[in-house]
Amino acid sequence: MSMSQATRIEVRRLDGRLTCTFLGGHLSARRVGAPEGRVRVALVGTVALLLAGDAVRIEVVVGRGVDLEIVEVAGTVAYDMRGGSAEWQVDVHVEDGGVLVWEGLPFVIADGADVTRTMTVVLDGSACAVLRETYVFGRTGEAGGDLRTSTVIAHDDRPLLVEQLDLRAGARIDGAILGTARCFDAVTSLGARIETARPGLLQLESAGSIDRRLAESLHTTGLSQTFRDATAVIRRRNMASSASSSQSEPTGLSVLQTRSSTHRPSRRLPAE
Amino acid sequence: MTSSPQLVLAMLADARLPTGSHAHSAGLEPAVMAGLSDQGRRLDEIPAFARSRLRTVTATEAGTAVVTRHQWLAGGSLSGVEDAWAARTPSAAVRAATRQLGRGYLRLAYGLWPEEMAAAFERGAVPPRPLVLGVIGAVTGLSSRQVAQLVGYDDVQTTASAALKLVPLDPIEAMRWVLQLHPDIDAMADDVERLTEPAEIPASGAPLLDEHAERHAVTTRRLFSA
Repeated sequence: MSMSQATRIEVRRLDGRLTCTFLGGHLSARRVGAPEGRVRVALVGTVALLLAGDAVRIEVVVGRGVDLEIVEVAGTVAYDMRGGSAEWQVDVHVEDGGVLVWEGLPFVIADGADVTRTMTVVLDGSACAVLRETYVFGRTGEAGGDLRTSTVIAHDDRPLLVEQLDLRAGARIDGAILGTARCFDAVTSLGARIETARPGLLQLESAGSIDRRLAESLHTTGLSQTFRDATAVIRRRNMASSASSSQSEPTGLSVLQTRSSTHRPSRRLPAE
Repeated sequence: MTSSPQLVLAMLADARLPTGSHAHSAGLEPAVMAGLSDQGRRLDEIPAFARSRLRTVTATEAGTAVVTRHQWLAGGSLSGVEDAWAARTPSAAVRAATRQLGRGYLRLAYGLWPEEMAAAFERGAVPPRPLVLGVIGAVTGLSSRQVAQLVGYDDVQTTASAALKLVPLDPIEAMRWVLQLHPDIDAMADDVERLTEPAEIPASGAPLLDEHAERHAVTTRRLFSA
């Protein structure tokens, strides 16, 4: 397998059936059990991640009216790259009426790591997404390596969020960036707003919010509940809009594979 | 009536300009309330704060003003520029403060250049300050570099002047900070002066500044609006 091959997850509704197309890269995608009407896909590492020279690419396409949840089975550690670097690129397209729920697990930037993460998201029409990004600088006893992020999110050809963060070791200690915080934890809701009124919650100009916590330790960020609440909001919205559009959607969903297990991996730090 | 761009620049950079900007601290009061300068014991954190802004939020504002100037001179629409600025300004509190400043500049600019401003902004519009400054720059003959320097200088001077009200500080020391930050203002202007398209506007985020701004917006114990 070529190390430059992208992991691709494409889910579409064809003739009332939800159809998944997967292509494996550094991470392989597997469909796992989910409540009726939803698709849940687990991302599983196929090789040791994340090392110097790695270029991880993940492409996600959520077709019209599809409700896709991506789960990660383990967090990721970016190891000492000894002068090298690695990239992590995610490109998402959510079509009209689609929902993407992706609770990323902690991404740990060990001493000596040098990582650039880029994410693009394109939302069409009434599409929504809730994403979680968690960065932890250093394993226990480490100060952590270098991370740069670039996020470009557009909704119907208008920019919704454009942000680059310089989280390299020398830059993030700046009092404008992270200061003394070792953890950067964020829930981003796109296409719908987070409805809790927490001081510090960022309400974007167009429909979307970021609840971002800068903390000493992940245990104190308390964002898992925010993630669940934001997910409930977009699912409610999505059901309302698909009901109001009242297409005579075939109820062929019942023929889809669903497993009784709704086990979800617990949120935890790897290697600690 | 013609006036030289240099004099327009001096006028726009003058603290006595009636735009309401004296009510703003360029984010310094929110940062000081969150512990910056340790109640005046570590004063060097304040010019460092201004430098951080020049690399992040102020570069976004200056880039927005430069692109506005270009788009206005090229006959383009400003809505794409405003969208780009808003997408790069995730804090509603920061956007509100920047629009409040924009309203002040626009009121002044309507009075001084009524026809030009009416062509750029509908009555009742609340554009953010960099859009207003960009159009003023376009109609008064300021270069893109002058527009960028104006935004950078204004931010630094606002920070230094607000510091005088927030921490024990010799005014000459505050102006020394401003002077010593001139190279940083120029470096920021170097980075943005050639920008022409909304997508090129810098987007370096400052998560702690956003957090401070949001918390400050809901406190009642404050001297400055933002």
